[in-house]
Amino acid sequence: MKKEKPHKLSEVVSIVSHQFKSPLSVIKGYLEVLIAGDLGRINETQKEYLGDALDNTNRMINLVKDFLDVSTVEEGRLELKKVSSDLDSIIKKIIEEISPFAKANNRYISYNILNSIPKMKIDPLKIEQVISNFIYNAVFYSKSKKKGMISLTLQRKDRNVIFCCQDSGIGIAEKDKKKVFNKFYRSEEAITLAPGGSGFGLFISKAIIEKSKGKIWFKSKKGKGSTFCFSLPITT
Amino acid sequence: MKKKRILIIEDDVFLLKLYSNKLKGEGFEVEKSLTGEEGINKISLRKPDLIILDLILPKKSGFEILSELKLNKETKNIPVIILTNLGQKSDIEKGLELGAKTYLVKTEFSVNELPNLVKEYLVKKK
Repeated sequence: MKKEKPHKLSEVVSIVSHQFKSPLSVIKGYLEVLIAGDLGRINETQKEYLGDALDNTNRMINLVKDFLDVSTVEEGRLELKKVSSDLDSIIKKIIEEISPFAKANNRYISYNILNSIPKMKIDPLKIEQVISNFIYNAVFYSKSKKKGMISLTLQRKDRNVIFCCQDSGIGIAEKDKKKVFNKFYRSEEAITLAPGGSGFGLFISKAIIEKSKGKIWFKSKKGKGSTFCFSLPITT
Repeated sequence: MKKKRILIIEDDVFLLKLYSNKLKGEGFEVEKSLTGEEGINKISLRKPDLIILDLILPKKSGFEILSELKLNKETKNIPVIILTNLGQKSDIEKGLELGAKTYLVKTEFSVNELPNLVKEYLVKKK
């Protein structure tokens, strides 16, 4: 009998992740109707528990999405759908979405656009994914309960635009700096502060930026905070 | 007033129950099909006012159903909402090009939004 060729790990991940989506959609949907009270009134404690179950279902959905993204990158199937986009509007929209979550963690987002930025041909959804990843990391990776700022800047420099996200969080130790863009990599402190993370975010962000012919980098000092940046060539 | 008829073509029994009960609770009349072929048969027997369509279906895919509907002058104006877990850009583009009113990914969508969405596309149809 002819032996079947084994699947590559990334293929298995992709297949399994797709299979996970259906039961997860079911769990999510059933929890949503219960919380909405479609099947009868529920008390506050029940609502809280069901809400926690829904949050964790959404967390699992996001993990599945990350797995699929990683398998796409690993198989060289990452594709960009470039359209003329206004990066400034994209950033403002993301800030609006993330601000309530940041505020709940006593983090406040400021944004400065330093000079005029033309519309550029980029994949808006993918770039949005990178910017959101930077900002969420800035919110998550901070020990201090005191009020903290997350400063975003966008500027044009020669034929590139540069976006940076600066925080005053835990920072990255020298020994860990080389591994920051590795998939699965998470420092011990990061695992403690955000146990739900997958360790895929920056790996995927790097792949997206490099596929867009840009560069990604960071500066960080342990205990003082980090600044993550990317540049993209201006193509109109 | 006559109830609006919604046909849901979805092969997952749990989701079918969920969507169906949600819409019934809002006063819609709901028809259900677990396969693509059954869905097409139901449409030919009695035209629904709106269709909620999954894409990966046994016997006939959602894309095939959509193409058939749009080629038939009797059915081409029935609004179709695609509700699937295929989230690739190429699938989204294909679904919209084939004439779906909107394309939603199940994991990124709240079932509580479904009744309003259906109402919106029923109004736009007029």
